[in-house]
Amino acid sequence: MTQALEHSFVSQLEENQNIVHKICRLYTNDSDSHNDLFQEITIQLWKAFPKFRGEAKFSTWMYRVALNTAITLYRKNKRSIKTQDYEGVSFKIASEEYDPKVEEQLQLMYSAVKTLGDIDKALVFLYLENKNYKEIADTLGISEVNARVKMNRIKEKLKTILNP
Amino acid sequence: MDELDVLKKEWQAREHEFPKFTQKELYPMLLKKSSSMVKWIFYISIAEMILWTTLYFFVPESSKKFQEGMGLNDIFLALNILNYVVVFIFIYLFYKNHQKIQVTNSVKKLMKNILNTRKTVRYFVYYNIGMAAVLMFATNLYYYYNKEKLHALLKSDDFFSSVPAETFIGYNIIGGIIIIGFLILFYSLIYGLLLRRLKRNYKELKKIEV
Repeated sequence: MTQALEHSFVSQLEENQNIVHKICRLYTNDSDSHNDLFQEITIQLWKAFPKFRGEAKFSTWMYRVALNTAITLYRKNKRSIKTQDYEGVSFKIASEEYDPKVEEQLQLMYSAVKTLGDIDKALVFLYLENKNYKEIADTLGISEVNARVKMNRIKEKLKTILNP
Repeated sequence: MDELDVLKKEWQAREHEFPKFTQKELYPMLLKKSSSMVKWIFYISIAEMILWTTLYFFVPESSKKFQEGMGLNDIFLALNILNYVVVFIFIYLFYKNHQKIQVTNSVKKLMKNILNTRKTVRYFVYYNIGMAAVLMFATNLYYYYNKEKLHALLKSDDFFSSVPAETFIGYNIIGGIIIIGFLILFYSLIYGLLLRRLKRNYKELKKIEV
């Protein structure tokens, strides 16, 4: 029984682990903390898994647990505040259409997002994940209208950071 | 806004560039121990409750002797019973609130439930500090109005025989204030640090709804 549960969990996690990695990337600054947070999110997901009834998609359920862990449950390690040595590693692989200008813009944008507060980051993350405002609002526990208003404010804020 | 939408497009296009753990790497992760905030708060809360509850067993013999000599035994017994009832109620409330903490709640609800659980323990501590303060002042006030009795009692004690009743009361009060002040400082430091981020984020979420 437990083995079957474990197997089902691990294969779904393996398949959807990108979601967790993306959250770790946004909320931590180096690879040690990234892995640390990934570990903690995995534990929280696993602990909550027996109650996952499959009414929602596994990935949808994951967003909530993973964000909750990153924002609320995870205690940042003191050592993680060192440098941003790890910023944007994922953007360094050159694709065929590698455009240094786009690349630079992305880097700047990414750094700007990283300066946001925990809650704002969560909104941006869900927005980047192409979630609609209803889903964003439900995940955070706010109303849809307010999620929309807040998102517009964050966009404004990012604009000012990028074009001072 | 164009910039964020550029990032959005790229964000989705570059998914495959993230690290990937294999199942073999993921399995051991399930066995690791969590070091979540809720777990810390839980352990600290339990420790606090045990500490405050057992503290009553460590009233010094000399204090007890004075209480007995001053005829305060019955009232202290009654207060003790009342106190255990209150402790029990707090433990029940703490348990109930802790049960409500679910990682599958919305971000806001989760934060609210954690803060509520903490609040229960905070009130428990307030209750204890408050009770200690009230008891200390009431006892010393009683001593003050029954100075003769206290004086006679001090005379018969080897250690306090040369201490005047007023000085005894004065020391009692100063000692009490120092202890209570220290406790308040200790608590504001510990919980200030532990809950700072959580409180800030919760405030932020509440602000969105205004």
